[in-house]
Amino acid sequence: MRRFTDLEMDALSEAFNLALGEAAATFAAIVREEIELSVPTIELLSRDELIIRLEDTQPGGESGRLCRINQHFEADVGFQTDALLLFPEYGSLEIVRRMLGDETPVEHITELEQDALGEIGNIIINSCMSCLANLLGTSLRGSLPRVQSHSPRDLLNDKPSSDVILVARISMSMSAHNLRGFVLFIMDIPSIENFMAEISRLFQLPTGQEAPSP
Amino acid sequence: MTDCCHYLPDSIDLGLILLDDDGRIQVWNHWIAERVRLESHQVTGRTLEESLGSNLDPRLALVVREALDFGWSARLSHALHPLPLPLYPPGAPGNERIKQSIDITPMVIDDQRHCLLQVRDVTETVRREALLKHQARQLRNDLQRLSQAQDELQRSEMRFRELTRLAPAGLFEANLRGRLTFLNERGEEILGHLRLHLPDIPWTDLLSGLEKDRITDAWRLAAESGTRFAEDFRYTHPDGRFAWIRAEAGPVRDSEGNLNGFIGTLMDVTEFHERATRNEFRANHDGLTSLLNRDRFERHLRAAVSGAREVSDRLALLFIDLDGFKGINDGHGHPAGDTVLKTVAGRIRRVLRSDDLVARYGGDEFAVLIRGIGDEATLGAIIGKLGQTIALPINLGHRHVRVGCSIGLAIYPEHGSDPTSLLHHADQAMYRAKRGRNPSPAG
Repeated sequence: MRRFTDLEMDALSEAFNLALGEAAATFAAIVREEIELSVPTIELLSRDELIIRLEDTQPGGESGRLCRINQHFEADVGFQTDALLLFPEYGSLEIVRRMLGDETPVEHITELEQDALGEIGNIIINSCMSCLANLLGTSLRGSLPRVQSHSPRDLLNDKPSSDVILVARISMSMSAHNLRGFVLFIMDIPSIENFMAEISRLFQLPTGQEAPSP
Repeated sequence: MTDCCHYLPDSIDLGLILLDDDGRIQVWNHWIAERVRLESHQVTGRTLEESLGSNLDPRLALVVREALDFGWSARLSHALHPLPLPLYPPGAPGNERIKQSIDITPMVIDDQRHCLLQVRDVTETVRREALLKHQARQLRNDLQRLSQAQDELQRSEMRFRELTRLAPAGLFEANLRGRLTFLNERGEEILGHLRLHLPDIPWTDLLSGLEKDRITDAWRLAAESGTRFAEDFRYTHPDGRFAWIRAEAGPVRDSEGNLNGFIGTLMDVTEFHERATRNEFRANHDGLTSLLNRDRFERHLRAAVSGAREVSDRLALLFIDLDGFKGINDGHGHPAGDTVLKTVAGRIRRVLRSDDLVARYGGDEFAVLIRGIGDEATLGAIIGKLGQTIALPINLGHRHVRVGCSIGLAIYPEHGSDPTSLLHHADQAMYRAKRGRNPSPAG
């Protein structure tokens, strides 16, 4: 796969900045709290690189488990992607419980809490994707959210290692929590090329194919 | 295939509602009909709002619209949207809504956007999780209580350890067989053994001789009846020293009330015992001569008279008054008088048998009680010997002095049948003797 130019990466950042801003606003409305969102850092990584990154930074804390909310999207303009929201299991559980006004000391997430987390992730992902769809002037059909908890090593076992992962790292700060999360878009090579073409078109970049990559 | 599609929706245990691109109901499966209590033909072709009125969660209407317009899927979780549709348990009259969770997915059928609602009954899950959380809370509370209790236990254990270390008394715990399961430092000191070095024997085996038998019996009795044990006993230390020990113990029972041992104290009461012995002696004896005092002597006399009455025995009561004592006292001082009295007391004691009673009755007056007297001659011989020994010279250190004595005799039952008359008789007899020996009444 070719590497993307700085300009292209900037354009990606810009697009996701907008989309995640929407998502954070939606999330803030759900939890009825002010949410501060960091500017996302965008990277393109392979699956294995991402796993190493996750293991190194330990976003899930000592216990290490991450909660993943996954939706699949298909765009009319020729790309498909898995949109994943990753949160440390502990932090996400805390937020769900707080929203539900429940302080029960159950260590692991229950079925209903998992459902609720699915809905929250669904709202965030949908609002992010709708923003992207609007920017790109396409429609994106989304599947239902799936919620799973895994250690970083097993987190992406179901994704082909050849896929490219567009990683947008954001951190959300709420009054009592500092929840660091990741938004991942996992695409196959044709999808990422098409997606980048759409982004380039949106920001009216010079057509990338002709520009020599640094 | 058509048949299959026709029957499938009504066969699954899930609510299915299919809406066309106008939001009009196309499929309304049996599961939903039963719970909304509206048949499929009553709602087909109408929108959800038309069919259900204000009973609809507004968020459901929004996500249905998004699915139809943009092709997005959505989930309404029970936690955030407990009752989006008016569903009631089938066949039950109750008005309590079924707890539900709904998945909304877009579908394209014949190039038209449709929207499928899948409704799950999560009532049972909600109940189960509520129970789970209740148990978790209870568990947490129990754990908190437990850890509090543990803290308290630890504190009280520490307190106990410190107390037992500082306690001036020996503290012990023993099982029913008398084996010591705990003994504090003071206890080890009192017994002269380290608990850990003791063989597996009852503590009463540390005693010896008659005391061992007596205390073993007392312990067995307490263990059998589950009653309090309290005994004083003489104890020989491993180093050979004698001690008096007081052991007191109370039964300890387990939570079911079964006796499982004793807890108690050990005290070295040697000094107490010695003092008590001394005090008892002092109360009954004359401090100077160590003979019985008057009070004690009269009590013995009363007992002897009533005893003699029962077995028709004869008693002899002697009153001995020293002659010339006042002169020695005045001429040589009180210490000399004391020496005379002590010497005379010893001499009287030596003349008599060990079970005859001798008392210092007054200043220089002695009394003797002889039980089981033989014939008059024997008695006369004793009286004669008393007079002779008392009259022997007494060494004062710087010189010798002599005293004489007058002896009055009263015999039970001849001279009186009760102590008072006997005492009176002996007294009179002594005075008579004194007058005979020395016509002037000056003593």
